[in-house]
Amino acid sequence: MKEIFTMWRHTQMVVLVALSAAIYAAVLIPFKGFAIVPGFIEIRPANAFPVVFGLLFGPAGAWGSAIGNLIGDFFGTLTLGSIGGFVGNFFLGLLPYKVWGAFFRGRNMETNVDTGKRLLAYVAVTVLASAVCAAIISWWIAVLGLYPFQVFFALIFFNNAIIGGVIGPILLYAFYPRVKRWGLLWTEILEPEEVSASRLQRIGNLLVWIGTIGAVVVGVFFGLSSKNPGTPGVVIGVALFLIVVVIASLMLGGREQVEAVEAEEEEPGAPRVSRAR
Amino acid sequence: MDPSLYLDRNTWVHRLDPRTKMLLLIATFVLAFVFLNPVYELVILALVVFFGYLAKVLSNLRRIRFILIVIAIFTIIIWFIFGGGNLGGVIYGISIAIRIDITIIAGMIFLSTTRNEEVAIGLVRLGIPYRFGFAVSTALRLVPTIASTGLTIGQAQRSRGLDLDSGNLIERIRKYVPLLVPVFVSTIRSTNVFSMALESKGFGASPKRTFYLQPTISWRDGVVLAVLVALLVAAFVLRAIGFGG
Repeated sequence: MKEIFTMWRHTQMVVLVALSAAIYAAVLIPFKGFAIVPGFIEIRPANAFPVVFGLLFGPAGAWGSAIGNLIGDFFGTLTLGSIGGFVGNFFLGLLPYKVWGAFFRGRNMETNVDTGKRLLAYVAVTVLASAVCAAIISWWIAVLGLYPFQVFFALIFFNNAIIGGVIGPILLYAFYPRVKRWGLLWTEILEPEEVSASRLQRIGNLLVWIGTIGAVVVGVFFGLSSKNPGTPGVVIGVALFLIVVVIASLMLGGREQVEAVEAEEEEPGAPRVSRAR
Repeated sequence: MDPSLYLDRNTWVHRLDPRTKMLLLIATFVLAFVFLNPVYELVILALVVFFGYLAKVLSNLRRIRFILIVIAIFTIIIWFIFGGGNLGGVIYGISIAIRIDITIIAGMIFLSTTRNEEVAIGLVRLGIPYRFGFAVSTALRLVPTIASTGLTIGQAQRSRGLDLDSGNLIERIRKYVPLLVPVFVSTIRSTNVFSMALESKGFGASPKRTFYLQPTISWRDGVVLAVLVALLVAAFVLRAIGFGG
C-alpha cells in the first residue's frame, strides 16, 4: 500500500485529493436527499462518489473520500465518530481499485463499465467496499458504546451500496473516457516503482472477502446477543476480521495496473501520456 | 452561498491558538465519555454550552437544535429497544444521547470559532505533513464554490423539467445523475491547470514552508490548557472513587 504515501509527491495527485474531497463534501450540501430518519438516514447521492473516485484516482480517490467525509462532518456533525468515518471512507475508496486489479489480472484492467463483466465487477467491489466501510464505522461506534453494531452497519451499508450500485456505474461510464483523455487516471500519474506489487493476489482477493463477511457476521451475531454495544465479541472479533481485510489489501498491490498502462503507452503509435510531478 | 460555520466574533475564545482549540475539542470528547450517569453528563453539557455562550456562538447551536433533538429521541428509542425495553434502557439511552449531543455541540463550537485556514495551519503545526494540510484547506475553500455550482446546476435542470420528488426509490436516485455529472466534470477538468499553477508558484520546491498565518501560544492558551487539565483530572478522580458510573 505504499502508493497511499508516495502519491503525495505528485502535485496532480495532491490536487485530485483536494478536488475529490471538495466535490464529495459539496454535493452533500445542495443535493441533500429526502430524509427517512432525519439526522441519520437520508438518500445521499454523494455516496456514489467514493467508489468512482477510487477506481479513477486510486489512492488520491481514497484520501479524497476520507477528507471529503470529514469536511462533511465539519458542517455540524463533527464528533469522535468522525474518526471512524474518516477511516471507513478511506477504505471505501481504497478497496475498489485494489480488488479491481485482482479481478482483471492479466487482462485489460481498464476501470470502465463498458461490458457486462465489468459492470458485475463494479457491483461486486461496491458491495464489498460498502460493507468494509460500514463495518469499520459501526465497529468504532460500538467501541465508543454509542449504538449497537448491527444498527449502524445496516444504515451505512445499504445507503452506500444502493446509491453506489445504482448511480455509480452511470457516473463511471460518463467520467472514465474524460478522465483518461485528461491524463488523470492514477495509473497514468504514478510510476510502477511507487506502487506496491501484489503478493499472492488470488489469496489476497479471497482473504478480503473472508475478512469482510467475517466482520459482518461476527459483529451482527455478538451485537444481537448482548445489550452492551462494546461487548468483547464485537470489539475484538470484528477487529480481528478487519485486520484480515487490511492484510489482504497489502497483498492485493496495484503495480500491475500501472505497468499495464505503461506497456500500452509503449506500443508503437500509441499516444504518450505525460507523468508530471 | 457560504456554508462555512465560522462566526466572526471578537472574543478570547476566537483568539486562542488553533492547536489549543483542537486540544479543547479532544478533551471535551474525552470528558463526555468519562461518566455514564445522565446527571453528570448534564453538568458537562451545561459547561460546554456555557463555553459556547462565552464564545458568542449560540446562534449556530440554534441552527442544529432540530438535529440534536432528533438524535436524542432516536438514541433513546434505540436503547429502549436494545436495552431490554425497560427503564434501565431508557436511562442508558438518555445518557448516550447527552453524550452524543455534547460531542456535536463541542464540534460546532470549534467550527464556529476557528477559520478553515486556522484548521489547516493547526494540523501542520501539530505535525501533519504540509501536502495533506494543503489538500484539506484547499478542499475546505472549494466546497462553497462547488456547492454553489451544484445549486445552479440543480436549478437549471429543474427549470428544464427535472422532477426529483416523484418516482420510486431507484428512480429518484437515478434522477441525481444529471446533477452529479456536470459538478464532477466542471471541477476535475481544472486539475492540470491547477497543478501547473501551483508548481509555477513553487509548490513543493522547498521542503520547508513559510506561512502567512502565524498562530502563537499566548498566556491565554496556557490558562485554558491548565483549566482543561484540572477538569480532566477532577473527572477521572471522581470516576475512580465511584461517582458518575
